[in-house]
This record gives sequence, structure tokens and C-alpha cells, in this order.
Amino acid sequence: MTIQSLMNKWNLFIDTFLNKGGYKEVVTGLINTLIIALVALVIGIIIGTIIAAIEVQPKKGKIMMVLNKICTVYVAFFRGTPIVVQLLLGYFVILPLLGWNFSSVVVAIMIMGLNSGAYVSEIMRSGILSVDIGQMEAGRAMGLNYGTTMRKIIIPQAVKNILPTLGNELISLVKETSVVSFIGVVDLYKAFRTIGSGNYEYMMPFLVMAVIYIVIILLITFGLRMMERGLRASDKR
Amino acid sequence: MISVRNVYKNFGELKVLKGVSSEIQKGEKVAIIGPSGSGKSTLLRCMNLLEEPTYGEIWLDDKLLTPADPYLHPEVIAASKTYQSMYQKKGNSNTTELDEEIIREIKEKDLLQKHEGKEYKERLKQIEKDCRVDVNLARQRVGMVFQHFNLFNNLTVMENLTIAPVTLKLQSVEEATEKAGELLKRIGLYEKKDEYPSKLSGGQKQRIAIVRSLVMNPEAILFDEPTSALDPEMVGEVLELIRELAEEGMTMVIVTHEMGFAREVATRVLFMDGGEIKEENTPEEFFGNPQHPRLKEFLSKVL
Repeated sequence: MTIQSLMNKWNLFIDTFLNKGGYKEVVTGLINTLIIALVALVIGIIIGTIIAAIEVQPKKGKIMMVLNKICTVYVAFFRGTPIVVQLLLGYFVILPLLGWNFSSVVVAIMIMGLNSGAYVSEIMRSGILSVDIGQMEAGRAMGLNYGTTMRKIIIPQAVKNILPTLGNELISLVKETSVVSFIGVVDLYKAFRTIGSGNYEYMMPFLVMAVIYIVIILLITFGLRMMERGLRASDKR
Repeated sequence: MISVRNVYKNFGELKVLKGVSSEIQKGEKVAIIGPSGSGKSTLLRCMNLLEEPTYGEIWLDDKLLTPADPYLHPEVIAASKTYQSMYQKKGNSNTTELDEEIIREIKEKDLLQKHEGKEYKERLKQIEKDCRVDVNLARQRVGMVFQHFNLFNNLTVMENLTIAPVTLKLQSVEEATEKAGELLKRIGLYEKKDEYPSKLSGGQKQRIAIVRSLVMNPEAILFDEPTSALDPEMVGEVLELIRELAEEGMTMVIVTHEMGFAREVATRVLFMDGGEIKEENTPEEFFGNPQHPRLKEFLSKVL
């Protein structure tokens, strides 16, 4: 392949991108990708934390046993099936069955969030277990109940310990969003695919797409580093 | 004030406490000593239910913290099917009075079954209904100081002191902050109020842990080997603070290896070995005239 033909491909891409409205598609795709990943992570952290707090409780009453079983099934399902299958089930099975009418972006956010919750629960559980048992005992000994001690003492310390791993989760979420086009969401991948399909020229669009993904991930990594530094205020390190 | 009644604690197969009973009166300073593995820390931790006794009851004044233990209530045993069948077998004609012999036999041979009839169940429930209290409420009245301090690492010193009273709505933020400030000034660590625990020395941490329990205005404080994790040069400052509290009349139970301290501050000393209280006495008698051979041996090694 000559330099000349590469230049031609590039010019074709720039033309489609700038003059034929390709950039609009990419901006939409970028926003969708980021929104889905971020909101899904928030949902995932909330669900994962609740599951972890239920699972690490040592004393189990009847209600706790039931909740624990539900959590086990939940985690087994979302870790045991591919995310594409979950998206398809959500959009083409659950949604019509319930008669709901959400947009595909909302469905994507919910499914990715539920999926992430299953993974975050394991991360959070290891984080909680990494906090010295004495912290819980001290809280309980002062009359704080299990939930309050968890919320105010244990989880803040656990989150600090697992922040690098949670960062990983965000990164993999950003990357996993590339499958949401299965249910018709315009994400970064779909946007560049559309640009390429105009003239069957995919080389440059996908190359640029890869660069954008890398840049996003590098920015996230940098942001997390800064955040971690802030949270380490109470540490010797 | 704190009443431990026939408490057993098993960790799986391991029997750590084998029927311990003790009454801690208001104003008493009770030291618990004994070799490691004797169950002294477990006993202390049972007093605020950080460990739940396998059998037996813990009382805080007239409030029951544990589930009711049928073996401690003759009237409950008397309502059991086991008692009644034994009673009939014996052909006893007196129907109103409890047969002490049968009750003793049931207790000794551990004869009560899981299901002992409706009346039995109801009497047991009635005791819990009348006396049992939420353990979190009881814990607000009894402070605890740990061997490893257990200051909350994610909170500043001031937040460590105020979190419990403020979260539990016992004091307003202003009240708690003022009280915490006074207490910190008292131990000379007021300027550390905005530091995180990781910046403090062991002695400082432990003294802050002690005043953290004081913010709650506890009626008693349990000390679980408060100086065992400290550098030798910091032991003094912590013991000094505990001594001051003792002089102010605080009820306290201290598990300790500091024999000199126990002798000087305690009003009563318990010796534990093999999950039982082997001897208890005033410090003078306890150290001056030990009776139990195991205690003599122990003292000869540590003194």
C-alpha cells in the first residue's frame, strides 16, 4: 500500500468526518459511551456495595439468608452470561414483557449497571475484608449499629483500598460499551462504523476510533491517580 | 451493674469459657488476669456482646442483653415437658412447689430439649419481653478500650470522638465537639484534634481511644489489655489516665498483664485459667495470699 493511497483514505475520512456530518455522529457516540460507562459504574457501585455488605455480615438471620441467596443468584447470572446476551434479553425480552418503553440508551445503562454490580460486589467484598476487624468492633462497641458502622467507617476505608481496582472496572466498562450497538445504541464504535460504511472505507475510521478509546482511558487513569492522592490524606503513604 | 451468669462460649469445638459467673458492682475496679488463652479477653468481650455467649446470660442492671437461658430460670424449667414427666414419674403429690432435686438434675445433665411445650416457650419469651434490651442501647452505656486502639482510620481525632454521640443523636454537634475538646485538653492532645490517627504515637492513640469512650458518658468502661500493644515508654501515660478515671469513681473491668497496676488500682482481682474463674479476691489477699495452686504458679512466674 502506497503512501499516496493512505493519504487518499485519510482525506476521504476527513471529508466524511467534517463536511458530511460525521463529527455529529462521533460526538453523539462519545457522549453515549461516556454516559453509559459512568452511570453504569455508579449503579454498579451502589448495587455492589449493598451486595457486599449483605455477604460479609457474619450473623445471618432469616431475612439475611434470603437476601444472601438472592445476591448469589444475581451474581451468578450476571457473571455467567455474556453481556451481549444480557443486553438482548433486557431489550428484546424483559422490556416487552413488562410493557415498558425505555430508549435503548436507558436499557444499555441499566444492563451495564446491573452487570457491573455483580463484579463490583466482589471487589467491594475484598475491600471490606481488607479493613481491620477492630474498626467494626470499635464502632459496634460504641453503640453504632452494623449498617451505620459499615457506612461511616468500613466502606470509606474499603473504597480507598479498592480504588485502583474500581478504576479498572470503569476502564473495562468504557471498553465494554462497544457492544451496546447490538440493541441500536449509537456509541463510539457505531459512530465510526457509520462513517466508514458511507464509502466502504473502514481503515481510517477504526484507527481514529482506537486512538480515541486510548485517550479516554489515559484521561480516566490520570483522573483516578489524582483522586487517589486526595483520598490518601489520612495515610502515612 | 454488669452481671455475668453462667456464661459458656464455644468457638466451634474449642470451649473458651466454661460456666463463668461474676457480678460487677457500680464503682468497682475489677482486674482480670491469667495466662493467655485462659478466656479473659473473651469474658470481657462477652460483657458488651462483642462475643455472644453460647449459653448463659449477661445483664446490665435489670436489662438482659442475651437471649434468656432456660437453665437460669427454675420457673421455666418447671414448665418444660421434661420436668413434668420426671415429676410424674417420681409420683410427687405436692403440685405447687418446685422440686429442687429435679431442677438440679435437669441442670446438671443438660436435659432440656429444643421443644419443651408451649408453656415453656411462653415463659422464656416473657422474660425476654420484660427484660431484654437492644444491644446497641446497652453498648452506649458501657465503653470499651481495645488492645489495638481501633481508632477510626478514616476520621480525624475530633471526628473519632464525636461520631458516635452525634450519629446516635445523643448530643448535638456543638455539644459533642465542646465535650471532646475538653477531654482532649485534659489529656494534652487538643492540638492534635485535626490529625488522622496514623500520625499519632501508640500512647497518644490509646489515650484518645480512652477519651473517645468517655464522650459517651459511659457508666462503665471495659479495658482489653490497654497497654499490651504499646512501647514500654508509653505504658506509663496510659496507665496514668486509667488510674485517674479509677480515682474519679468510674466502674471498670480491666484485662491486664500489668500486675503492679492491678494490685494498686483494682478493688477486686479475678484469676482465670482454662475458661474458668479460679480465684477472686481483694488485691491484698490475691497477691499476698494466693490459694489456688495454678494462681501460685502463675504469680511465681510473672512477679
